[in-house]
Amino acid sequence: MTSSSLLPSVARSLLSSCRSPLRQGSMAPLVPGFQQVRGAKSNPQAIIRKNREKEKASVRKGRRGPRDFKQRDLKDMEQFTLCDAVRYLRAFEVGREPSSSKYEVHIRLRTLRDGPVIRNMLRFPHSVQTESRICVVCPAGRHQKEAQAAGAVLVGEQEVFDNVKKGIIEFDRLICHPDSLDALNKAGLGRILGPRGLMPSVKTGTVVEDVASRVEMLRGGTVYRERDAVIRLPIGQLAFTPEQLRDNLRATIDQIKKDAAGLNDRINKEIYEVVLSSTNGPGFSLNGEFKTDDSPDSASLSGL
Amino acid sequence: MVNIFRRMRKLQSLLNVRVGTGAAVLPSVASANKELPAITRLHLTYARKIYGGHQGARHFWRNCLPRLKYHNPGLRMTVKQTDEQEGPAALTIYFAERASNAASLTAANIEDKHAPAPESSEKTAILDVKNLGYEQIWAKVKMMTGAEEIPTTAEEEAQLKKFEQLREQSSKDRVRIAEMRQAKKDQERMLQEARGEVERLRQA
Repeated sequence: MTSSSLLPSVARSLLSSCRSPLRQGSMAPLVPGFQQVRGAKSNPQAIIRKNREKEKASVRKGRRGPRDFKQRDLKDMEQFTLCDAVRYLRAFEVGREPSSSKYEVHIRLRTLRDGPVIRNMLRFPHSVQTESRICVVCPAGRHQKEAQAAGAVLVGEQEVFDNVKKGIIEFDRLICHPDSLDALNKAGLGRILGPRGLMPSVKTGTVVEDVASRVEMLRGGTVYRERDAVIRLPIGQLAFTPEQLRDNLRATIDQIKKDAAGLNDRINKEIYEVVLSSTNGPGFSLNGEFKTDDSPDSASLSGL
Repeated sequence: MVNIFRRMRKLQSLLNVRVGTGAAVLPSVASANKELPAITRLHLTYARKIYGGHQGARHFWRNCLPRLKYHNPGLRMTVKQTDEQEGPAALTIYFAERASNAASLTAANIEDKHAPAPESSEKTAILDVKNLGYEQIWAKVKMMTGAEEIPTTAEEEAQLKKFEQLREQSSKDRVRIAEMRQAKKDQERMLQEARGEVERLRQA
């Protein structure tokens, strides 16, 4: 469909009245739609054709789908208290490698399909994973010493690039100092680091002046982001008590609410469902309560 | 995220955790008496492949242990899968203070080096589960520990029945749909062949 037939009829008549008879011939091939539409008011067939085209356009628009992610009504979904869900999950995890099994949480949001997404980092009251290994790219000198003091595993410029090119990636996070960003970009590591989500960028907050404090933060922090209206993140080890899980959940939900509020005035994001799951277990929709009367005491729901 | 209906369907498996073989309460510190001492831990060792009689042990882990864990949430349970096909398939039961009479009578004289060492107050009874089905294993465990099975409620019975009906219906439907798809495919193939015939005629 050409743009001309989408114009309101007033604009079209304006255009045609402005056109000088001399230029008419030269303009027609540029905008083919005009030729058809010009006599539209008098010609019944043209009106029908125009309506049909309009319908087609609206169908095409409809095919683009709703603007929001579709979220069904949860009234049919069975929902669980935290303790009950934990009891089931621990039954599903029985006999699994205790170090590899973790609780995870999926937070579903009511949100636009093409809106901005939440991405941030948070620090749990009870840390989930043992320290993540952090690598820092920065010029030698003061920053290097600070980063090492803060607990970075690998600090440097050229040696980091060499290692990565060789395929030795012994870290979970990569932070870069702005002074070294050019060197990093020149080294052409995007193809290796990009797919792993390790490539530093200002947007993710991994290109920072104050490298040392960032390393501190990242060591105990968990990065999360929204994908298809869901934020997924590990929330606890299997040995956690339900109270510890509750604290971590609260911290997470508060932080996400804060993120959603801080996005934009016009963007409305709200939490729609919280699902607790584990490495080998199904997902349990939580109803926000901590325990029911017949759930076991929390001491028996912890440990390995 | 996965479709909500699919997730609900998946949660039907929760019924299988609540009822079935192994849905029982083992004597705990609170409910123990002289005849039936409390159980503190369970440990299961078996080999990775099923030949050599390791199948029942794996089925016991898959079927019974989640139910036991659900009904005895405080009980610690560990499972070790080994690569030694010749090695033991053994279930170690850890009793607080002393083993029950039945346990000491049926305990096998084998050694399971993967089982965690008992604490000073614990007594262990090792059950040889080689060449046993999981239901046989459960019967022995029940006898040794004096576990009390939890009766299924009428509601759960009804649910079980309903799921069984659904399962039957779905196997019927599967056959029906497969026939329909096959018929459609056959027809398309025939049309394709017919078209090929026309092309050949035209070319000739």
